[in-house]
Amino acid sequence: MSEAIASMWAPRSAWAGYAKPGRHGRTQGEAGVRLTLRDGIGLATVIVADGQTDALRALVSERYGWTLPEPGRAQLFRDRGLVWSAPGQWLAVAETREALRDLPQAFRGVAAVTDQSDGRAVVRVSGRNARTVLEKGVAVDLHPRAFQAGQTAATSIAHIGAQLWQLDDVPTYDVAVARSFAGSFWSWLTEAAAEFGYEVEQGPAH
Amino acid sequence: MTTMTLRRSDADIAAETPERSQAYRVARGGLVDRRKLLDFSFDGTSYKGFQGDTLASALLANGVHLVGRSFKYHRPRGILSAGSEEPNAIVELRSGARREPNTRATVAELYAGLEANSQNRWPSLAFDALGINALAAPIFAAGFYYKTFMWPASFWEKLYEPMIRRAAGLGRAANAPDPDTYDRMHAHCDVLVIGGGPAGLSAALTAGRAGARVILVDEDFKLGGCLLAENQWIGSQAGVEWAAAALDELISLPEVRILTRTTLFGVYDHGSYGAVERVSDHLPVPGAHAPRQRLWRITAKRAVLAAGAIERPHVFGGNDRPGVMLAGAVRAYINRYGVLPGHKIAVVTSSDDGWRTVTDVLAAGGQIAAVIDTRRSVPHELRRAAESAGATVVTDGYVAGTRGHLRLKAIEVVDSYGSAQTIACDCLAMANGWNPIVHLDSHLSRKPVWNEDIHAFVPAAMPQGMVAAGAAAGRFTLAECLATGAEAAADAAQHCGFERKLYPVPGTEPESTGYTPLWRSPRIKGKAFVDFQNDVAASDVELAHREGFRAVEHLKRYTTLGMATDQGKTSNLAGLSIMAELTGQAIPSVGTTVFRPPFTPVALGALAGHHRGKDFRATRHVPSHAWCEENGAVFVETGLWLRPAYFPRAGEKDWLESVNREVNTVRSKVGICDVTTLGKIDIQGRDALAYLEKFTANPFGSLPVGKARYAILLREDGIVLDDGTIARLGENHYVMTASTANAAKVMQHMEFCRQWLWPEFDVQIASISEQWAQYAVAGPKARDTLRGVVDPEFDISNEAFPFLASANITVGGGIPARLFRISFSGELAYEIAVPAAYGDALWRAIMQSGTPHGITPYGSEALSVMRIEKGHAAGAEINGMTTAADIGLGGMLAKKKDYIGRLMKDRPGLTEPDRPTLVGVRPVDRSKRLRAGAHIIALDATPSLEADQGFLSSVAYSPSNGHWIGIGFISRGPQRIGEHVRAYDPVRGEDFEVEICSAVFVDPEGSKMHV
Amino acid sequence: MRIRCPHCGERDNGEFSYLGDATVVRPDGMNASAEAMHDYVYLRDNPAGLHRELWYHGAGCRSWLVVTRDTRTHEIRDVSSARDVALARHTGDAA
Repeated sequence: MSEAIASMWAPRSAWAGYAKPGRHGRTQGEAGVRLTLRDGIGLATVIVADGQTDALRALVSERYGWTLPEPGRAQLFRDRGLVWSAPGQWLAVAETREALRDLPQAFRGVAAVTDQSDGRAVVRVSGRNARTVLEKGVAVDLHPRAFQAGQTAATSIAHIGAQLWQLDDVPTYDVAVARSFAGSFWSWLTEAAAEFGYEVEQGPAH
Repeated sequence: MTTMTLRRSDADIAAETPERSQAYRVARGGLVDRRKLLDFSFDGTSYKGFQGDTLASALLANGVHLVGRSFKYHRPRGILSAGSEEPNAIVELRSGARREPNTRATVAELYAGLEANSQNRWPSLAFDALGINALAAPIFAAGFYYKTFMWPASFWEKLYEPMIRRAAGLGRAANAPDPDTYDRMHAHCDVLVIGGGPAGLSAALTAGRAGARVILVDEDFKLGGCLLAENQWIGSQAGVEWAAAALDELISLPEVRILTRTTLFGVYDHGSYGAVERVSDHLPVPGAHAPRQRLWRITAKRAVLAAGAIERPHVFGGNDRPGVMLAGAVRAYINRYGVLPGHKIAVVTSSDDGWRTVTDVLAAGGQIAAVIDTRRSVPHELRRAAESAGATVVTDGYVAGTRGHLRLKAIEVVDSYGSAQTIACDCLAMANGWNPIVHLDSHLSRKPVWNEDIHAFVPAAMPQGMVAAGAAAGRFTLAECLATGAEAAADAAQHCGFERKLYPVPGTEPESTGYTPLWRSPRIKGKAFVDFQNDVAASDVELAHREGFRAVEHLKRYTTLGMATDQGKTSNLAGLSIMAELTGQAIPSVGTTVFRPPFTPVALGALAGHHRGKDFRATRHVPSHAWCEENGAVFVETGLWLRPAYFPRAGEKDWLESVNREVNTVRSKVGICDVTTLGKIDIQGRDALAYLEKFTANPFGSLPVGKARYAILLREDGIVLDDGTIARLGENHYVMTASTANAAKVMQHMEFCRQWLWPEFDVQIASISEQWAQYAVAGPKARDTLRGVVDPEFDISNEAFPFLASANITVGGGIPARLFRISFSGELAYEIAVPAAYGDALWRAIMQSGTPHGITPYGSEALSVMRIEKGHAAGAEINGMTTAADIGLGGMLAKKKDYIGRLMKDRPGLTEPDRPTLVGVRPVDRSKRLRAGAHIIALDATPSLEADQGFLSSVAYSPSNGHWIGIGFISRGPQRIGEHVRAYDPVRGEDFEVEICSAVFVDPEGSKMHV
Repeated sequence: MRIRCPHCGERDNGEFSYLGDATVVRPDGMNASAEAMHDYVYLRDNPAGLHRELWYHGAGCRSWLVVTRDTRTHEIRDVSSARDVALARHTGDAA
């Protein structure tokens, strides 16, 4: 494939046209919130077939070294693993879409796998005020006594369906929304973060 | 007249006069910061106040009592209270886009440059032309709307309503968009404490020390509640100092969140609460990136209601005269703000605590003109203190009336022998006992009960998880406030899993809370108000009684008692007690009305928050959005989606010309349309087919892998739910599309069927709507265009990939894609899908590949024209009222399987032969424009419901036919092809002859799709 | 209102949508009668008191739930996974 054609077929970020890297909002002091755009990551819905939960648990452990999370839990190691999303259903996450390419084949007969790498716009929210910013839109209790690293919630933020999971105790969160809502979600997120000052950065490219 | 008068040159001169230089400010004392002098203006006149003042206290410091005109009678009104219950001092704040009407001066925090104006007066506050309404008082009595403005009916809109609106005006809303933002926050806690007075602080300390997550909410900008207003001691500390120490400790507790300037306005089910924080209302303008207000949605496991109590006015003639105030308010202005509300203050009291006013006034250097106690016996020491200060003391007496016009000058007092005397005074403090604030605990329809001991309603059955403490529970002494607050919080903390621990409560001075309320002065001179804000007088309650509106709910609606924005905080009980007296009942038998959220008015902006303007609701963008924007597409909102409607080109004079060009190009060459908005659902599993067979109304058993089929979905009642296509990607793998409008509904329905109706099926369903960008490529050159993007190893010739074929392919050198040969336009057409990140690239690649073939992008308008030309049903036809037979698809329904809607579609009403059925219509005079919604009637019929034979559901100008066409539902339509009828449209005044024809206006044989 | 989703925990009622009576059972199969189907589609009791209702956790885990709610007080006594309830019902039918 020629250079020109290759560039013509480049993927477009779900945040393209909405998010601008750099410092925004309140200008004084260190930014209270860091927003890292996570493009190009792999996502797939994994829905277990009836009666196959044990088989799936064994498979994910043997083939990927993952744990099948209980409801409300996210089991991620170095940005790879599974996030519970509904009864019998998980979101597989990896740093690239290629990393999940063999999932449908691997889980054949045990779980139905559908690629969602393009279906979600994902942003990593971190920084001193990360939790406060999310609390403006998330009705789920995110206080450390109620929600910790390794937990996930499917909920809505500003009337937009969202799934979030907490990565560490800093705290750092990943928030995934449906791709077509990216612009509206970004509008909410940046308005919520403006009073703290926020820094937008592109996540690592793979 | 706001800013104009502000710049009046005499304002500065006026400020020099003693009346306007805080003449009523006490030399020292109070909690205002005297080092911070603030300039503000009221009705264009400049004044000075201090940091820590409210607008009301600053006005009183300057001797301004007259602050407004009443709602109905335009009577001069002053400042009644020192809190959020204020019914009189209602003003406009700020100017321009930030102008805010109907705010209470008693809670408006003073800031430098605050601009306030009185409302409901013309031309000026002191001379109000509509004060003449007071002379016409008889016609404004209770029920006057119903009686006076009955006839003639045509006068209502033109004359009466505008007249009443001008006369009974409230403030003026800003007439420019609000420049500020409103934030929202969700908060969760173990114990929510409502109110930051002694009971609330005690509760918050107790729960906080136990380690519970506590939220303490107070509407004031300073915590302490009555401790700020009264001279009381807690242990060895002044109440104010104790409150400050409590605040310091609370701040040090990491799990305690303190929200001041925050009104808890609503109590909802299961521990949900609404509160609004006035983040920037005390500032001239909000700081950079700061909201004006923030809405809090609080979820609490337990709540302690420590909202306090509201003092009750006495009902006597002229009790609304500026200068007549609540006694607790007089003390608050003295103790908290260092302001004496008058030089000569009289007190009318039915309680011991009214006498505190005497002590506080004297301590502040004021003069007590008189104390009138409505009770027979008064503790001797109270009486002596007043008398030694030179005050006239009357017991077993009452106030019958007041004198003065714009300001109180004297009161008329009647003593126990019935003899009257006039006592000069410029302020009258009323103490008629206290009502616990039962608003919040009655928000969930729980009615408070009467407590005879304290002559007040108290909370009864509380909302789940809520306990009242302190004055809100009718426990009025400071000792009880501290104790009950701590106990309620200790219980609440224990419920949440923390140790129940009570700390020693510091000692307080003995207090007498004894009182015997006087509901109404026996003799009344002039109008005696019950509800100040809505101008309801005692005589209105009497009128309601005479006319039979005696039940509490009737009384309320007939007189509007308690229906103003203050919800009758100072008035309800007075009204009820008078009705009780008139009907010879006890107050509890009269009952009380129920309070509803919000406790005090909430700005709509605070409720809307982020969701206004372009963010009123979420907007969804299609993958081709960027390209469409770059290329000047005109967009249309369909549901949440923003779709390109058409793509105008230079020189095209209107939308129709653009749409016609797009249709003609598709029919003659090729076009591309973004159909990503369709719902896309992935269905896998061992029982995928069995499930689909029950879910869809037409058969799918024979659908081979690599093929797609049109699908009809019915609701259980036999009506069409939606239509779409189902393609079989593998043995147990299908992908289904649903229409844009119904995508979410269909997904929910699928989950309902899978989880609830047929849980035994092993089927896995996932929405992939967002994962795939999907484009329709249609027209004779569609295949040639696609060949430029589909990788060469895939044969898409008609032979290898015929009509209704489907396949997994790759494009652009290995990018996975799905190709379906389906057609909505009736042309040779494909739908091609790629992972959404490649949607933008695929669109650009197809545009490039199609350029030699004359490709056009087309939008939802051309899409709609072409489907109407083909007679395909869409939203206007699948409208929740039509059956598959109605839209001409009855023949497709399966005969040999059970599916949703199978039985009910055969209901007699749905199978009746005369039912309107989908057909086409064209105007006999081809130049006529058809209109959707036009009714079909026979040529010779007189329009009537009986003559109605159906209607046009969708119309379009058909460039392929060169005239307007329509499809619609006509009784026995398919049997009447060729018949002439009338399209009758009374809405647009049109009525002309049309011909019933086939709904398929283009390529009726369907040959173009198959080439 | 707050509903405790058995999968997601307690959530605000805005995340849920309401369908209605969970006590009616769809007459399934080719042998179902039109009369039984009519009753299933149209006939509902309107109890003042405890009621079993179908709710959909659309903004959460997309589970259908059977919520036992007191229609007079909104008190919620129980929330169960609708699929579990339906599977138990099927098992019951088979037994």
